[in-house]
Amino acid sequence: MNVEIGEVTKRFGRTFAVAGVSLETGPGVLGLLGPNGAGKTTLLRMMATLIPPSSGSVRLLGRDPAGYGPRREIRRRLGYLPQNLGYYPGFTVAEFVEYFALLKEMPPGRVPQAVATAIERVELGGRARAKLRTLSGGMLRRAGIAQAIVNEPELLLLDEPTAGLDPEQRVAFRALLRDLGQRATVIVSTHLVEDVGAACSQVALMDAGQIVFHGTPDELAAGGEGSGAAGDAPLERGYSAVLAAHRSAGAAA
Amino acid sequence: MIFGHDMTGDRTGRPAPVRADLRRDVDLDRVWLGVAAQVWRRRPGLAERLAGRALRSPGLARALVTTPSLLLGWIIASAVVLAAGAFVTLGTSVPFAALLAPAVAAAGIAYAYGPGVDPAWELSQSMAVSDRMVLLVRVLVVFALNAVLGVAASAASGTASAVTFGWLIPMTAVSTLALAVAIVARSANAGVAAGLTAWAITVLSARSAAGHVTAAVTSSALLLPYLLVATACAAVAWFATRLQKGTS
Repeated sequence: MNVEIGEVTKRFGRTFAVAGVSLETGPGVLGLLGPNGAGKTTLLRMMATLIPPSSGSVRLLGRDPAGYGPRREIRRRLGYLPQNLGYYPGFTVAEFVEYFALLKEMPPGRVPQAVATAIERVELGGRARAKLRTLSGGMLRRAGIAQAIVNEPELLLLDEPTAGLDPEQRVAFRALLRDLGQRATVIVSTHLVEDVGAACSQVALMDAGQIVFHGTPDELAAGGEGSGAAGDAPLERGYSAVLAAHRSAGAAA
Repeated sequence: MIFGHDMTGDRTGRPAPVRADLRRDVDLDRVWLGVAAQVWRRRPGLAERLAGRALRSPGLARALVTTPSLLLGWIIASAVVLAAGAFVTLGTSVPFAALLAPAVAAAGIAYAYGPGVDPAWELSQSMAVSDRMVLLVRVLVVFALNAVLGVAASAASGTASAVTFGWLIPMTAVSTLALAVAIVARSANAGVAAGLTAWAITVLSARSAAGHVTAAVTSSALLLPYLLVATACAAVAWFATRLQKGTS
């Protein structure tokens, strides 16, 4: 298992952003669904070793990220795309990807080839020498994805990766996700259930800091059958039905 | 087909004999990636190469040369301010260069690293090269550069040697204060404001107490307070850059 999380909580002041999450997953693509404020980004940031949990256990790639040495080793093998990707306006796409390849401590001799491969995989080859300030939002997002995959990570964490991508780019991105998921554990936080249906082998649905469903997209879609839940597609109805059931159970308790 | 040219026939139209070693499929994607890797790669400059050797980390060296307050424009601006100070010193005998050096250094240090300075700060924090190490290296180099500029300005202004080096300890205190505030407030501007304000208050207070404007950089009574401030602020900066602990 590349990700082993046990009863993890994360508290900011009096608010529990993550309230007792357990999750185990190996290679494949896991879609992390949920409404705004469900705790998806906080959970991803804990898995990206940016913030430690308030309680509970986290093991990533067989290591405990609490220690400096293991955390550094995890980070060498980690790819992360934050929700708000900052960028250096004066960098070219290639320089941006190369910068993070070096910060991931890739062997310098391997970096140029890895950078070219990552840029081509996100189909930005034609703009590799363009300054980031000249790119559209979708291109910047793809540059962010390129830096995340440049080290061929074993654990890839993507927070809203398809935001700003046009439909054609999203289709290409889903294909890339499926390809990456054959070797690595890919966790994608998204609002878009169609991304989950098309690219993910597993889905976890979060609400109020908890995982309220973990299964396959088909199982989630089945949860909405005959429920009368809102939604235009089976997955959307399953999403709505599971959330409604969880919230009504919480209200009754 | 290569760029639209059929390479399989000669001028007579007869098919050319294909050599056995060329019959093997050529993976053009792979060839292109090899070419692109060389075309797109960034050749590091002399400073980056030297830093890479000294630090034994190409990543740390790249992080160093992207420091906002080490960019050429910033260095030139700092040098111009100190040169102006030296020029005024020559004309008035008031050691403006020595009084300006801590302020210039504080601004540079506050703009060395942090969420308001590094656009990709959150991403940088998830990297194998520790952000604390990046901070440390950047701060040391910015400080050293400002110290060199300050010494040059003081020397050029002909200030007495006591004043020439007297500002180094105040500069350390003001710089660490600016750094600590910039980190805690997550704002480089807040760090600059804190550093400049504290330094202005110190200079004016020392002048009121001692009767001359150079007291802030010449009074031995201020050395201990400067060192205490520097130590306390360095501790705050170190504490504030630890991996945030949970609240339970």
